[in-house]
Amino acid sequence: MNEKLIQIVSEVFNIEKNKIDENTSPETLEQWDSFNFYVLLNEIEKEFNIKFDIDETLEIKKIGDFRKLFQKRGIE
Amino acid sequence: MKNEESLAYFLNESKIIKIDELEKKIRIAILGSFTLNGIEETIRVKCSQNNIDCRSFVGEYNQYNQEILEQNSKLYEFNPELTFLILDVRHVLGELFFYPYSLNDSEKDEFANSKVQEIMNLLRTLRKNSKSQVVFTELQIPTYSPYGINEQKEKFGIKQLVSDINKKIRHEMKNDDFISILDFNEFIQKHGEQNVFNYKEYFSGDMKISIEYIPKFCDELMGFVIAYAGITKKCIVLDLDNTLWGGVIGEDGFDNIQLGETPVGRSFVEFQKRLLALNQRGIILAINSKNNFEDAIEVIKKHPNMVLKEDNFSCIRINWNDKVSNLREISKELNIGLDSLVFFDDDPVNREFVKHELKQVLVVDLPTDSSQYSRILTNMRVFESLKITDEDIKRKEMYLGQRKRIEFKNEVSNLDEFLKQMDIKVKIKKADNFVIPRISQLTLKTNQFNLTTKRYQHEDILGFSEDVSKIVEGVEVSDKFGNNGITGVYIIEKTDSEWIIDTFLLSCRVMGRGVEDIMLGQLIERAKNENIKKIKGKFIPTLKNKPAENFYKDFNFKKEGEFWVFDTEQETKKTKHIKVIEYE
Repeated sequence: MNEKLIQIVSEVFNIEKNKIDENTSPETLEQWDSFNFYVLLNEIEKEFNIKFDIDETLEIKKIGDFRKLFQKRGIE
Repeated sequence: MKNEESLAYFLNESKIIKIDELEKKIRIAILGSFTLNGIEETIRVKCSQNNIDCRSFVGEYNQYNQEILEQNSKLYEFNPELTFLILDVRHVLGELFFYPYSLNDSEKDEFANSKVQEIMNLLRTLRKNSKSQVVFTELQIPTYSPYGINEQKEKFGIKQLVSDINKKIRHEMKNDDFISILDFNEFIQKHGEQNVFNYKEYFSGDMKISIEYIPKFCDELMGFVIAYAGITKKCIVLDLDNTLWGGVIGEDGFDNIQLGETPVGRSFVEFQKRLLALNQRGIILAINSKNNFEDAIEVIKKHPNMVLKEDNFSCIRINWNDKVSNLREISKELNIGLDSLVFFDDDPVNREFVKHELKQVLVVDLPTDSSQYSRILTNMRVFESLKITDEDIKRKEMYLGQRKRIEFKNEVSNLDEFLKQMDIKVKIKKADNFVIPRISQLTLKTNQFNLTTKRYQHEDILGFSEDVSKIVEGVEVSDKFGNNGITGVYIIEKTDSEWIIDTFLLSCRVMGRGVEDIMLGQLIERAKNENIKKIKGKFIPTLKNKPAENFYKDFNFKKEGEFWVFDTEQETKKTKHIKVIEYE
C-alpha cells in the first residue's frame, strides 16, 4: 500500500501505522465516522494534489478501495 | 500531525489537551443551521493554546430554534457564557436563494423584514433566557445572481436583499452590548467563497464551511473568545532594524535605510501605518532594539518617512542589553503583565531566546520577506475587546503620561516630593451605563492590586448596580500629566451593621501613588457617617496579587477567620498627597 496514504490515515485517525491495512474500515476502526472520513479525504486530496469525484467518494468502504482511485490517477 | 493548521490536527489535539489547571474558564455554546463538526474541537484546542479552559456545547444538527425557544433546553442547562449562532444564507433564504426573482420587490422587502424579525426574536430570547454574550454570524451575500451582469441594475436584487437583512440586524444591535456581530462577509472576502464553500462536502454532509477552512473560521470566532475572556494583548513591542525599517542603521546609516518609496521601503511604511492605527485605538507601542541610542533615535525623530513618532512609543529601550531583560523592564515600567505583550523582531535568534525565556510573551514569527509584515499584523486576532471603551482610546495618552511621569520622577529627589508635585485628583463615579463596561473590564483584567480577583462580566456589574444593597463605584484618577481614566473599582455589600468588601482593585497603571489608600479611606469615612460598625473583606491570594497582600493590615484591619475586619471607631491610616476627591 502507498506509504504516504498509510501515513495520512495514521495521522487523521490517530492510530499506529502497523494497525492499518487494506481492510481497515468503519467496522474495524471506531474513529472512522462520516465526518472524519471527509477529513481524511481532504487530507489525501491535499497531499496528493488530486480531487475525487463525489460518486467515487461514496464507493470507498475500506482503505483498500483507495488503490483503484489512485491507479486511475497514476499513483502507485 | 505535521500541519498544525489542518482540521485533522485540531481534531486529534482536542482529544489530548489538558485544561484542568488553567486559570481562565469559559463556557461556549455553538448553534447553527448546518453541520458544525470540527468547530467545537478546534475552538477548544485554540482556547487551551491561549491558556483558557473551554467547556463547550454544540447544538443538535439544525435544532437552534428549539434550543433557543424552549426554556428547559439542553442549551440553557449548559448555561453558556458565550454563544455563537451561525446561520447560513441558503438556510435562511430557502428556495429564494435559487429563485430570487420569484418574488416582486415589495414581497422581497416583506420577506427581508420577516427574516430580520425572526432572527432578532431568536437573539433576544437567547439573551432573555440566559446570561450569555451572543455572537451572531452575518449572512453571506451571495456571489451569484441568475441576472448576471444585470444584477447591479436591479432595484432590489438578491445581493441587496441579503445585505439589507444584515444591515437591519446590525442597526438593531448597535446599542446592545450583549450581542456582537461576526462579519462573515469579511471572512469570505479574505479567503474566497470558492475555498470556504466546497460543493462536494456540502452535498455529502451538509457542511457549509469547508473542512479546509474550519480552522480559519475558528480564528474569527476566537477573536470574540479572546475579547470575552479579557486576554486581549495591550502592547506591541518592536525591534527597529529590519522590523520598522529596512536595513541596519548602525551599518547602513541614516540615508541608506529602506523607508519610503522603494518596494522594500514601502512595506515598512505600510507596516508602520498599521501599527499607528492600532496605537490610535489604544494599543500601546514600545521599542526593544539593540542599537546605539543616538543612531536609532535620530531616525525616529528626523527621518521624513517615519510614520511612528517618538511620542507614539510609551516605552523605549534602545541599548545593548539582551532582548529578554529589555522586555522585562518594559513590562515593569508600563506596569503590564508579560502576557499582555506581543513581540515583533525579524531576528529568529532573538525570537527563540524570548520564546524560551518568557513563555507569556506572544512572539510573532516574522518571515524574512518584509512585504508580509502588514498582512501578518492585520490577521492577528489578539487585540480584540467586546467594546472599545473611552479608556481604550485614551490609553496611549495615559501611557505617554506614564513615561513623562517616570522622567519627572527621576528629576525629583524623593517619592514624597514627587507625589506632592503630581497634583493627583481622584473622582468617584457611580456605576452608570458609561462606567459599567469599564468596571467589568477592570475586574476581568486586573491581577496585581486585586484583593479578591473576582471576575465579573458586564451583565453581572449591571445587576449589582441595580441592587440597592450594593455599592458599585469606579475611581477616576488624574494628575498634572493627564487623566488616567477609571482605574479603580470597589464593590461593597451593605447590611445594617456592616459593609463587606466583595471587590477592591486598582489598575497597575496607577499603583504606588496612594490612590488605593484614598479609596479605602473615603469608604471608611462614609461607613462611619452611616453608623456602620464594621467593614470587612477577604484577601484571596493568587500568583499575581502579592502587591495587595498587606493592604488591610496596613489599614489596621484585624484578621478574624478568613476575613480582615475593621472596627470603624478605630484610628486608621492617614492618607496624604491626594487632596481632592469629588463625587459624581
